[in-house]
Amino acid sequence: MDGNLYHNRKAQWAAYILIFVLLALVPFIFDNPFTLNQFSRYIIFSLTAVSVSLVWGHGGILSLGQGIAFGMGAYGMGATMQMQFQDPVNDPIPTFMLTNELEKLPLVWEPFWSTPIGLSLAIGVPTLFFFIFGYMMFQARVAGVFVAIMTLAMLAAWYSVVYDMQPFTAGFNGISPPSPFEIFGTQIDPYSSTAYWVCVAFLVILTLGTKFLLHTKFGLIVQAMRDDPERARFLGYNVAYYQTVLFTLSGFIAACAGILWVMVTQYVSPTSMEIMLSISMVIWAAVGGRTSLLGAIIGAFLINLGQSYAGDEFQKHWLIMLGVVFVIVVLFLPKGLTGLFESILGKFSGNNKGAKQKA
Amino acid sequence: MSIHDFWTPFSLYPFLNALFIGISLASIFFIAALGLTIIYGAMGVINMAHGEFIMLGAYTTYVFQQFLGVPFLLCLPLAFIVLALIGWIIERGIIRTLYQRPLDTLLATWGLSLILIQGIRLIFGGQPKYVSVPKFLDFQIEANFVHLSGVRLFIILFAIVIGAVTWFLMYKTTLGVRVRAVMQDKEMAAAFGIDANKIYSITFAYGAGLAGMAGALFAAAKTVFPDMGSGYIVEAFLVVVVGGVGLVGSMFSSGILGELSSIFSYFTNGTFARFILFTLIVVFLRFRPQGLITEGATRR
Repeated sequence: MDGNLYHNRKAQWAAYILIFVLLALVPFIFDNPFTLNQFSRYIIFSLTAVSVSLVWGHGGILSLGQGIAFGMGAYGMGATMQMQFQDPVNDPIPTFMLTNELEKLPLVWEPFWSTPIGLSLAIGVPTLFFFIFGYMMFQARVAGVFVAIMTLAMLAAWYSVVYDMQPFTAGFNGISPPSPFEIFGTQIDPYSSTAYWVCVAFLVILTLGTKFLLHTKFGLIVQAMRDDPERARFLGYNVAYYQTVLFTLSGFIAACAGILWVMVTQYVSPTSMEIMLSISMVIWAAVGGRTSLLGAIIGAFLINLGQSYAGDEFQKHWLIMLGVVFVIVVLFLPKGLTGLFESILGKFSGNNKGAKQKA
Repeated sequence: MSIHDFWTPFSLYPFLNALFIGISLASIFFIAALGLTIIYGAMGVINMAHGEFIMLGAYTTYVFQQFLGVPFLLCLPLAFIVLALIGWIIERGIIRTLYQRPLDTLLATWGLSLILIQGIRLIFGGQPKYVSVPKFLDFQIEANFVHLSGVRLFIILFAIVIGAVTWFLMYKTTLGVRVRAVMQDKEMAAAFGIDANKIYSITFAYGAGLAGMAGALFAAAKTVFPDMGSGYIVEAFLVVVVGGVGLVGSMFSSGILGELSSIFSYFTNGTFARFILFTLIVVFLRFRPQGLITEGATRR
């Protein structure tokens, strides 16, 4: 067991708990509802970064298409919230459908009258899609770069569909449910601390759950596959199965982020399935440290905070700075900021002990 | 809302026109993907900035034409040279350090593309620019079922020429032999005395130069704006991957994808056609991940 504090399990859990407590305390530090809403968005982004870290940092599968699940979840939530507003007797059809000359609510939209069914569909459909898509790819032993390209193509394809099916999805205008999300009889105001804490709850539960999973035998096998799939295969493990499960799980997490997104912004549009957004998720995880879930959260926060507070003069240069940071991280810091932290801690603990023992 | 809003019924002349447009699309895909085929085939480098090389070629043409009054035809080789230089520098600077890490190359080149897009936007602004079409190309063919502009015809001819030139370079020259040797096995080629690093630089520069020429052509056919590269990158990659990462493969796959794209666009509309096409490609790759035509080489 090396002396590096970074590898100490107890220290890791402590770090996670500490960060989560800090996040939960944010509403007490910042009073401004707008700031709170911003932070809710950062939480949601860090959730997507966690899904990327899971599937890429731990599983070795570079998925550029997390936006598919994110967007599907978002649209499902958008439909649910829209139908919460509609009245079955007087006003059954959303306005954008009337503008598109639809006379009757499309069959696909019918289930969203019921909120529980709507939510289940919003999370279930993307998860199922990721399962089928992942199964198809990994059964054929598609790996590495090809997975990245295929997920990218699939994302572009779905973007086209959502953009184009204007009567069903309101096209590039997007769906703006008029009232906030309502559950268990109460409305959740997007600018309230309730909404923020719901997001934090999702983040905490999903991240800790994922961390638990990664500490089990399943997690070890998955990391073995990341490092050498062939060897894992020779050892008798069904690589396709593990990869599919991991991929599905990441889709599930991204879908949860998607429904939270619409709860917090009350708007969903094809931008949720844009290539730039999905790759940004990868950038957040990469900069923060893809091999660490907490790193992904930190990366997402840092970059998005920087983007919001870069100010007007910097806004023009922001994309260039992001590109430069990304290139530097990829070239010199493959494990991201947490990797840097890890090596610094290693210098303090590991080497000294080794030198002493040798002497 | 009926099915007819999504599905156009079949009629002969418009359909044949769609087939011809498919040839034009195929030629555009082919030229855009050719540089990528060379780069990915020879070096295994996923260059996500390829679309931006195309965009830079278009802007180079714009600058030369607008500020230096260079005639369009001369802009083509100039775009090649400029982009080859840029490609050479990028290869030396960034790509060289990432040869064993294909996924990281993908990400680093994506970061590079962000820098390039935003840099161009800062220099030239976000408004679309126009490259004027030379006089001798300013015509339209309006035959029975063919509606084609002169520029598109030129692109088709150019695709054939540049494909032939590249084929000649790869298969009939000593340089081509060296490149193919390095493609198959870098260490063995180096053991035979081939300077593999120099070959990589030359290959990358050539691929970038091809992208530059593609950009010059597309600048005449469409408008020039900072984001224009992103429209080509996904399609170009799919052409390369479906074709099996080879010159002949890219020819076939660009032809097939171009035609299918046009046919689907005819029956439904552009964006839905994209969805069907991409799904088909994903399914195809699941069953034949090595692509259409594969020559025997080390599996990457």
